[in-house]
Amino acid sequence: MESALTLTNPIEMLSELVPELQASFDSGFLIEFGNSGYGITQYMAYACLVWVIVLAIVMVAGRKLTLVPNSKFVNMVEYGYQMVRNSIGEGTIGHGYKKHVPLLATLFFFILISNFIGLIPGAKAATGSIQITWALSIVAFVYFNYWGVKAHGGWGYIKSIAPSGLPAPMVPIIWVFEFVSLVIRVLTLAVRLYGNMFAGHMALGVFALFTSTFILSVVNGGMPAFGGLSIIWLLFEIFMYALETLVAFLQAYVFTILTAVYINLATSSH
Amino acid sequence: METTIVLAALKLVGYGLGAIGPGIGIGIACYGCCVGTARQPELAGRLFTNFILGAALAEALALLGFVLVFIL
Repeated sequence: MESALTLTNPIEMLSELVPELQASFDSGFLIEFGNSGYGITQYMAYACLVWVIVLAIVMVAGRKLTLVPNSKFVNMVEYGYQMVRNSIGEGTIGHGYKKHVPLLATLFFFILISNFIGLIPGAKAATGSIQITWALSIVAFVYFNYWGVKAHGGWGYIKSIAPSGLPAPMVPIIWVFEFVSLVIRVLTLAVRLYGNMFAGHMALGVFALFTSTFILSVVNGGMPAFGGLSIIWLLFEIFMYALETLVAFLQAYVFTILTAVYINLATSSH
Repeated sequence: METTIVLAALKLVGYGLGAIGPGIGIGIACYGCCVGTARQPELAGRLFTNFILGAALAEALALLGFVLVFIL
């Protein structure tokens, strides 16, 4: 790779460096157990790191609970939990929201912390891999179907997929549409989170590469005008970074609120 | 080699076309949410939830296109 860094044409440099950036997003094995095809990928390692961090934060914050939180850290964690409980749980599910708050809070904090870890340069978001978002969305999918069956009974839940009050001939047609949109939720939940995190981090990486290759080409004796372009790319990078910070929070929020909405749709009698 | 590049380009064009509709849909949903919130700020929470739900339904189409790009 030494040769690519001494070129004067930034486009040629990029054509060698961008595939390298793409390869860094692959989920290859960090540790493989023999030749079994099983192992630990970088995303699994980051997911475990997130798990440890979330557990540590909650354990430390929950160790000395008082009626009025007197440390800033406990206050912050309680604020986050209260947001999930009141704005997402109570605001969306309404009556009987309390038993769903643990799952919602777990999903929210896991996704939030993992998205924010992805913002550290060099680190990867655990949610930037499709496998982990599949796992999260399957958890949500199984959970709301379980509560739906529990609320309506098996046959009642199947009937409740179509909204009530339809004229009789329309019921099977609407039922099929609603059923497809129900099954597709598992896909859209997973792909929305994955697409946002992966594409955002890829864009950040590409802009960072643009900045560094353009400034390198000036250092190697290329056109001085590339130095000015490099500053523009840097401004883009800063803008994208701010946007990604927003997206990191928003995607955690959206995933959780959609899970809450689906729970509400499954359990409410309509 | 030529065919591969053309196929990859066509996938991207197809995804771009598929993203137009959801883009417009989410725009309209967001407009409605903003206007509704401006008229009745006390309903902001419920409007926002409905907006997220509507945006998720519209976005599903774009996400299907995104998946098709990978699996086709």
